[in-house]
Amino acid sequence: MNHDEVESAYFRRTSRWKLIILLLIVALIVTVIVSLNVGYAPIPFPNILAILAKQVPFLNNFVDSSLALPRDSAIILQIRLPRIMAGIVVGAALSSSGVVYQGVFKNPMADSYLLGVSSGAAVGASLSLLLGAGFSLLGLGLVQVAAFFGALFAMFLVYNIARVGPKVPITMLLLCGLAVNFFMYSIVSLLEVLAGDTLHSIVFWLIGGFSNVLWSQIWAVLPFIIVGTITSYFYVRDLNLLALGEETAHNLGVNVEKVKTKLLVSASMVAAAAVSLSGLIGFVGLMVPHITRLVIGPDHRILFPTSIITGAIFLVVCDAVARVIATPFASTLELPVGIITMLAGAPFFVILLKKKKQSYAL
Amino acid sequence: MRYERRVPSLVLLNVDGIECRYGSFRVLENVSLSVKEGDFVGILGPNGSGKTTLLKSISRSLKPYKGTILLNEADIYSLKGIDVARQMAVVPQDTTIGFSFSALDIVLMGRNPHMTRFQMESKKDLAIARKAMELTNTWHLSERPINELSGGERQRVIIARALAQEPKILLLDEPMTHLDIINQLEIMDLVKNLCVKEKLIVLAVFHDLNLAARYCTSAVLLKNGKIFSAGSLDEVLTSENIKSVFRVNAIVKKHLVTNSLFVLPLSPHKSSPARKCSIHLICGAGTGTALMKVLLDEGYSVTAGVLNVLDTDFETAQFLKIPVTTEAPFSPITEKTQKANLTMMRKASTIVLTSVPFGHGNLQNLKATLEALEMGIPVFVVDEVPIESRDFTNGTATALFAELKRKGAVFVKDQNELLSLLNVSEEKMRPSKEATTRIFNHLKPGRSHEESDITAKPEKAAGGMEK
Repeated sequence: MNHDEVESAYFRRTSRWKLIILLLIVALIVTVIVSLNVGYAPIPFPNILAILAKQVPFLNNFVDSSLALPRDSAIILQIRLPRIMAGIVVGAALSSSGVVYQGVFKNPMADSYLLGVSSGAAVGASLSLLLGAGFSLLGLGLVQVAAFFGALFAMFLVYNIARVGPKVPITMLLLCGLAVNFFMYSIVSLLEVLAGDTLHSIVFWLIGGFSNVLWSQIWAVLPFIIVGTITSYFYVRDLNLLALGEETAHNLGVNVEKVKTKLLVSASMVAAAAVSLSGLIGFVGLMVPHITRLVIGPDHRILFPTSIITGAIFLVVCDAVARVIATPFASTLELPVGIITMLAGAPFFVILLKKKKQSYAL
Repeated sequence: MRYERRVPSLVLLNVDGIECRYGSFRVLENVSLSVKEGDFVGILGPNGSGKTTLLKSISRSLKPYKGTILLNEADIYSLKGIDVARQMAVVPQDTTIGFSFSALDIVLMGRNPHMTRFQMESKKDLAIARKAMELTNTWHLSERPINELSGGERQRVIIARALAQEPKILLLDEPMTHLDIINQLEIMDLVKNLCVKEKLIVLAVFHDLNLAARYCTSAVLLKNGKIFSAGSLDEVLTSENIKSVFRVNAIVKKHLVTNSLFVLPLSPHKSSPARKCSIHLICGAGTGTALMKVLLDEGYSVTAGVLNVLDTDFETAQFLKIPVTTEAPFSPITEKTQKANLTMMRKASTIVLTSVPFGHGNLQNLKATLEALEMGIPVFVVDEVPIESRDFTNGTATALFAELKRKGAVFVKDQNELLSLLNVSEEKMRPSKEATTRIFNHLKPGRSHEESDITAKPEKAAGGMEK
């Protein structure tokens, strides 16, 4: 093989990465616009674009007002757009934390809920639903706040149980996460038994979805997600090295315990924020990083950003499907998006297992 | 590598009295060594002696409970990981990688300590990686996923990654585990070359003592977490040290071709019950070497002679602590030595004559054998090679042979037949006068040749040789 060939191929890779990200962003924008069109009330694309343009300074002077009717504007801006934004935020958040977990745990089967985030949030949410969901704090539902802190609490618990002196061994984390998850879910089951009339809302929350998402709820979680994701991105190259094993990463100059802690804490915070907004949407944090890795390769410098955008696109598409799939049977019935992601996820999981058996040796 | 402190500019790595523990279990105790650039240090010792732990503590993975490790006078545990990684690379024992990074990606990760956080690999980094991969013969694998390579290929990629770090110190933990012979030699030659030319420090854990002997300039022999012996290879790799640390008898010699020490471990001594009879071997030129070991293992006590000092059989006898009647090197057997040998033969229950060639120098041995037979001592003749083809005495030896046969010496075709016949006839043999006292001790270290009272020793010739 020619030396220069390999070299130039290597450097072409960098520009290819940029192109991939650009294309994905374009794809995301297209997905958002198409998705705005999906719903019970038919609103044509020119009207959608006009309504969006009206929100932008300068551009709004050129918009034909007859296209942006107040009723349509309300549907687009207050109902559909928050949902789509929530899809983007949650999809991106779950994927980014999934990438981090899979890298740190050196295990492609790890996902965003590994450290008890899901079960902790479930306990918080069910408890608050049972005690009275109407209560709100600074415009945020009690459920959201309780879910967020429940998730952080569970993660804190797992992390501290797993700690051996100054170190946090990966296997300990994995097993403690498992134990805490079992424990928390048994509490959720207990609450469900006691729930009576609120059982329906607990079940819906556990499946996860975006119905009735408000802008205020999105703004509330966004800072956590942005800060956590940027922190994780800071350590993408360390993630590459950690994937080779902690000892190797250490010998290549990574401060393993510090980096690991920062990555796990920020990824868990991101996942907790996402879960508090949407409930337990399954398989995104597992599946999206996995598909992306199959296509893009394992280098976290590109895997991380592409997974984030792919996760956003994936969840927006799933939510659009969830909104319309049941309409032929009952015009007002909306499925929770969690059902769609799981329906798509489970078969995918099986196919992956069959195809790439050898990579799952721990 | 020595214990005394050297000029600071020369000393690069200084391990000073470290003690390492896993929990409360003490793995290393009071280990000190000082390594300077260009040193190739082998870390040797049996399983569980603390070799890997020593490497771990030097690579900042296991902080010593006591003592310090200094890298250019700075405590390695107070340095930043990335600063150490710029100077020290580690090739670990286990190199499995779960993700499908390409081999080139893996090697480029060795550049990590030299890059800032958001920097991408430069042309220079790629050139360094390429050179490392060409040196380890892995460049053709550069685009292959690491988890699809064979164990040996992966090991070489990992070594390339270590080289891409451009280290001043290279730590190798049993680096040759997955490699076949040619790859072992190529990689070790490469490392040795870097060590000599680039003044690299190499610290390597070896299980293969011969590989260590061939490449190391010095060695540390660990036993139960303590340094048993340290210093130059000649000082460390002795059969006494190997016996005490590995509990294995081994022949240690300079190899004629490579001029490095080679270690030949002998299989652990079989504890055959000691037998009552002793055997005197008439041999020479290596014909008795294998037989000596076999007979000892079978429980016989063995003597031999006359052998010239420096003869292969003489050296084997020395090693196995077999009493020998000796003659000066390259000299014919004198009257006096012949007498001494006959005395020794008379004490034996049986005589075994190997397929040794006969010239005028050792014809006396054949005559002595005949004499012994005439005295009534049974004689076995291992007749693997026809006497005509090893007779350099114009027929005298052949004639003596015929006489041996006529007077009732037992001719056997090989060693196995000899052993089975010895077994049968043992009961009929007269027990040796000497045998019982000596039988158990022939392989114990510290019992030297000189202790044997029955060895006739020409002072001038053998005095200086036997140590």
